[in-house]
Formats: sequence, structure tokens, C-alpha cells
Amino acid sequence: MISASLTNEFRSIVGNEWFLDTPEDLATYSYDGFLPEFKPDAVIIPGCTDEISKIMWVANREKINITPRGAGTNICGGSVAKKGGIIITFHRMNKILEIDPENRCAVVQPGVVNADLQKEVARYGLMYPPDPASMFVSTIGGNVALNAGGPRGVKYGVTRDYLLGLEVVLPSGEVIRTGGKTLKNVSGYDLTRLLCGSEGTLGIFTEIIVKLIPLPSAKATLQAIFSNLDDAATTVSAIIGSGIVPTTLELMDRVVLDAIGDYGGAQFSKEAQALLLIEVDGEELLIEAQGRRIEKFCKERGAIEVQRARSPEEAEKLWQARRTAFGAVARVKPNCIVEDATVPVKKLPEIIKKIVELADKYQLKIAILAHAGDGNLHPLIMTDLRDKEEMVRIDKALEEMYEAAIAMGGTLSGEHGIGIAKSRFMAMEFNQASIDLMRGIKKVFDPNNILNPGSFL
Amino acid sequence: MVLKSIADEFDQCIKCGLCQATCPVCKELLLEKYTPRGKIQLARYYSQGELDLSSHYQDIFAKCLLCGACVTTCPSGVELNKVFISMREEIAKKKGVHHKMEELVRSLVVNYNISGEDNSQRGEWRDFLKDLPDHMYQKGKAEVVYFVGCVASFFPMVHKIPQNLVRILELANVDFTILGGEEWCCGFPLIGAGVPEKAREMMKHNLEKVNELRAKRVVFSCPSCYRTWKEYYDTDLDLFHSTQFIARLIKDEAIHLREVNTRVTYHDPCDLGRNGGVYDAPREILKSIPGLTLVELENNRDQCVCCGGGGNLEMADSALSETMAQKKIEEIQRTGAKTVVTSCQQCIRTIKSRARRQKINLDVRDITELVLKAMSND
Repeated sequence: MISASLTNEFRSIVGNEWFLDTPEDLATYSYDGFLPEFKPDAVIIPGCTDEISKIMWVANREKINITPRGAGTNICGGSVAKKGGIIITFHRMNKILEIDPENRCAVVQPGVVNADLQKEVARYGLMYPPDPASMFVSTIGGNVALNAGGPRGVKYGVTRDYLLGLEVVLPSGEVIRTGGKTLKNVSGYDLTRLLCGSEGTLGIFTEIIVKLIPLPSAKATLQAIFSNLDDAATTVSAIIGSGIVPTTLELMDRVVLDAIGDYGGAQFSKEAQALLLIEVDGEELLIEAQGRRIEKFCKERGAIEVQRARSPEEAEKLWQARRTAFGAVARVKPNCIVEDATVPVKKLPEIIKKIVELADKYQLKIAILAHAGDGNLHPLIMTDLRDKEEMVRIDKALEEMYEAAIAMGGTLSGEHGIGIAKSRFMAMEFNQASIDLMRGIKKVFDPNNILNPGSFL
Repeated sequence: MVLKSIADEFDQCIKCGLCQATCPVCKELLLEKYTPRGKIQLARYYSQGELDLSSHYQDIFAKCLLCGACVTTCPSGVELNKVFISMREEIAKKKGVHHKMEELVRSLVVNYNISGEDNSQRGEWRDFLKDLPDHMYQKGKAEVVYFVGCVASFFPMVHKIPQNLVRILELANVDFTILGGEEWCCGFPLIGAGVPEKAREMMKHNLEKVNELRAKRVVFSCPSCYRTWKEYYDTDLDLFHSTQFIARLIKDEAIHLREVNTRVTYHDPCDLGRNGGVYDAPREILKSIPGLTLVELENNRDQCVCCGGGGNLEMADSALSETMAQKKIEEIQRTGAKTVVTSCQQCIRTIKSRARRQKINLDVRDITELVLKAMSND
């Protein structure tokens, strides 16, 4: 609970209208894309850096928890008030402040929606590559906090690779700037990169400078169907090993293909056990040659059918299956848990085998969807959360899956974040010294532990 | 509780939030409670007894166009529209009808139309027609009934729609009639106001009157009437929106279209497109007019953005409805076409009124107008 006098203090900072505490508002800021819900005590919608600074100053003085929230699309519980307190959200700070084509960068407020930025910079012939599945809704602030990835990650990398600088309000209320518009910057510790992916535990981003790249002029889209899942997986590492860098290299197994078919989407032949969606982009001449090489690669490695889009419409058709995949799988059972274990790409066939084995061992219905090109798996576990007994089996399977992924040199999370979803597995990936170091960093930034407490540390 | 029957819909929502991408209301109002996801969760909290219905609930659920954009976007296939309509019903039951919709409901129950005028005036749009036949389009028996709808019947701004359509049907030798004063509101505004039980009387009456005429088909120029009949009326009659009917007449060569040199864009009405599943018929019509170039809106077919006239929002929050209309106008202007064609009297009213108030020079036409023009050009 926040006292009446504090409520007034916050109201006087942002204005009455932007301090919310009705039951309906608290309820609708109690969730994000993950499962558990936590009701905050209030929601504040600040309009500028200065207001956030003042809010943090008061919160720090009174030791009130603050959790920043973008569009609430993350699936690790990163933006819910796990220990109560106030949700700060950026609906009003949603302006693109500057697009600077000469320096190939843009300066944005945290509430700008990813796809809106992409659309805007495309008018200058530029591209902002990170493309999480939530991009039509999720905000750049949230993307930076979670270091969001996306299917284009295999060629273009993730949010961190396009982050040049930040304006940040610290839990104390002080405002700092990190990085800047320069591509090169080695002064001091790289705070920009430390803050990226910090899941709202270190500071609140109020201005973000992102790097842009020239929009590629052409692309080729291919779909290869395999009668054997393992063949598809080895083809992925073979393509990556060959020196071709695809923009996108997505894998779907038979379970996904069946769900798509049942959902009224494309129907696949009986023999199809896996599908690869491959896209390359760049200069037209190069793309033509790479497209041919990929086609050959797939056929040599057992693809029973390779299709290459001849027009943007045909490409869109090929993408259709991938776009509907999640929705199609999600409606097979009441709930669908999306996992995110990631391995070095060469280990892809091995981890896929492991997941198939675990599904069998624990009698689970798991569909395999993967940003295969960068070893980023999204096994989709179809379940019913009310089935307690099955939830126990899922937990065991997950534990074994993460152990396997980490033993292969992989990680708990490629792009979804740890939050509360995977905090219990942290010790698998980090030894005590690493965790102590992270806790130490957190303490330096936030000695009173008011910023997004209850997260992964 | 009304909501019991649709509890599956809440369970199906995975709270991914992707519905925010296309909801025109939440893009303006920003707060989570106004997002489709927020409304679904509020319905769930209420049904689980965690929150009580408040006047705040009523306000939140009234701020929705029932445009169905969220339904198209939802990856989990949640029928959000069903939940929103059920919530309006539940709220009306427990808290009464939204105060800005009370007058409408009262008028419908007394006059059987949304205008407040005597229902016998339904045919007044005929007054200005030249060569009006003796039967005045109201016959004792006909193969086709043309269900005119309240807005086109009572609002002079869109009288042209029935005036054009009867002329087209006449020229195509269709044996049709209207119901005149025996046509009652289809019931849709009552469903939107949360009082579907009051709509039932209307439905029963309309069906009886159509059956008395031994008609086999009903044609609607109003997408919402068309959708309501399809969804709520228990009948085997063949139901057509006027665009479907006209497209068929063109195909059967019952009408011939001559050249009209113009460049137009087309706005898909929510209840015809997303909620009615009709995207092709109006485009087929436009493409069969020689000389006409169709430039699609940036967001077209199932992505088309509501004009602001849906879901009784115009009554609940006229300023918000106008903001939507303004955005629609700007999207239309970006196409470079100087005419926007649509096939819904409500879209025409909303877009035209906003343009007039803002002194924007925009040519807004119903598709029947273009068809008639192409039929009569020599």
C-alpha cells in the first residue's frame, strides 16, 4: 500500500491523470506474457525523464519498489511487480526523437513500438534489424531491457548489436548518459551493454540511441522439406558452416506442421518430418547465387522438396506457415509454454534429439520450432496448467533440457530473458562467483533493491 | 452469469498482447485496460469474482468499436468480440444500460428504429425519386426483399443508397420489394447496447414479414443488418449484401457497366469484411467498371481499420470516434485517390461528417452510386 501523502507526492509529479490506482487499472497491469500475476499498488505513466527522476528519488527515499514495463509482451515475468510497488509504463514517452541518416542512427524514447521505428527508418532506406515476434507491439525500451532477438538474428544479431547509447535514470534518481552516436567508443566500462538485457533491474531507460544499417535491396526465400528431422538439423549447421549467412533460418518439426494443417493452413505431404524456411538478403546478384547454393545444399542433404519464391507474393506464402506456427500450436491445448534454450549451432541436431527423447520419456506433447540458424530453439510444450501432475513432468523435462543445453556450451535463454521464468536454473549456467558478481553490480546501482526486485538475482 | 458460456475464451488467451497491434481504440487510449487483452482479462477477473462490475467497467467496455481487428490478430483464436458483447450484456443487466445509449434503446423499443421518428416514415427516401412506380417498391409478393436498414432510411445524407439500389435492381429486372413501415431495426444496436433480449422481438417481426412475402432472398445495403441476420436470425433464406448481389448481377450479365474514368480507393466496412467475410464482391464490382482504377488503402481487407463508426462508440465517446475518422481520412488521402468508395451507410456518415467538420475536400461514395453511374453512362 502507498500512503495518501505519498500518493499525493507522486500525483504532484506526473499529474493526477497519470497516477492510476483503480482496481481495474491495477488488475490490468498485473500480468505480462508470462503466467504468474502480481497486483501492483499503483501505476505511474510519466511524461519525461525529469518526472522519472523525481519518482525514483521519492521511491528510493521511501523504499518503494518500482518495476518498469513496456508493452508487457515478455514471456519471462520481467515486467510484473513481483514484490508489489509501482509499475512505471512508457505509453506517453513514445516519440522517435531523431532519425539521423548521416550518422546512421536514431534517437528514440523507450515507448516507441519496434515496428513503427522500422517503418519510419525504411523511408530513409535504412533498417533497424532486431525483429522479435512481438515487434508490432513491443517497445524499444522493453526490447533493450530484454535484449530482444528475432528470426533475423542469425545474420544481424540482437538488440545489443544495435545499441549505441542510453539515457538512464538510476534508482537514486540521478540521470546518466552512456555511449553516444559514435560507432566506436571504448571509454570506460561499457555500461550501455551492461544495461542491455538487465531486465529492468539496474536503471530506467529514458532515451535510446540505436544503430541503423542500409536496407538490403533484394532477398531470396526458400522452403525445404525433409523426410527426416535429423537431416534438416544437419543441413542447418552445414549451411552456416559453408560461409553463407542467411538472414533467417527457421526449422519446424512434424508436430508443428500438423498443427498448421489442422488450423486450416498449408497441408504437408505425409513424408514431411521437418521444414526449413531460409531467407538470404543483400545485393541481387549475390542473392541469386546464394539461393542456388542453398537449394543444392538442401537437396544433397536429403530434402525431398525445395521451393524457391519467385515473387514477393510467393515469399509471403512460404512465410505464412511460419507466421501461423505459434498460434496453430498454441490452440492445440489450453496452454502452451514457449521455451528458449540455445546451443552453438553445430549442436543443433544433438539438442533436437534430446528434446524428442525427453518428450517421449516424460510423455509430453512438444513441438519443435527453432530459429535454427543461431541454435535458438523454441520448443513449444502443449499442456493444461490445471494438470498438476503433468506440470511436474514438464518441470523435470525442462531441467534435463537445460542441463543438456548447457553441457553443449549453450545457455538457458537465447532471447526471452530469465525473469522469474528461469531464475531457479541460474546456478546451472553460472558458478557462485559469477552470481555474486552480478549481485554486487546490482547493489552498486540499486543499494535499496527497489528496481524490479524478485527478478533473476 | 452470461459469461459462463464463454469462459473458454478467457482460458484460450495467452496474454501475449499481440492484439494491441491492430486495435484502433487502444492505440489512442494507451492504457492497458483499453487493450483487447486488458478487456479479456477484466472479463476473466469479473467472472472469477476477483473484481466487481463498476461504472468504470461500463466505460471501459463501451470504448470498443466491435470492429473485430483483435479477433483477426489473435494467434490463439480467441473470439474477443463474443466476450465484449457478453460483457456489455452482463453490465447492462447488473448496472443498467450505458447512459449514453439509454435514449437509443428507448427509441428502438417504442419506434422500432434508431432515429426516434415514427417508423411509418421509413420510406421517405422515395419522395425524391423520379419515375417512382405505382407500387412504390412495396409489393405484396416478391422473390427478393430489400432490407433497407435504419440509417439509410432515416438519414438524408445516405438516402442515396436505397435510391440507387432500387434503381439498379429495377434496371436488372429483379423482382423485389421493400418492407416499408413493416421493416423494424435488425436488432444490432440493441445487441451492442447489451440488451439482446430486446432485439429478439425485432428479429421475430422481421422474419415474419419477410416470410409473409414468400421471398427467397433478402438483400441488405447495411453490412451490420446483413451480419446480424447471418449471425442471429434463425432462417434458411438466402442472405446477400448488396455488393454480393450486384457482383452476381454483373456476372450474369443482367447489368452492363460502361466506362467511368476515375481513381478510387476502397474502405472495407468492419461488418462486411472482417465480421461478414465479404472482401471480394466489392472489388469484383469495382474491377468490372471499365476505366476505373482501384488503389488499395495501406491497411486493406482484413487489416482495414474501422472508420470510428462501429460498436455504438459514436454514442459512448464521440470524440474518440472522431479521432478514428480523422485517421481514416488521412489514410485515404495517402493513397492519392480523390474518391473513397465503401459499401456501408455508417462508414459514409462517419467519414463524411468528419471531413465536413474539418473542411476537408473528400469525395465519399457508396459503391451503388458508382455502379449506377457506370450503368447509365452513354
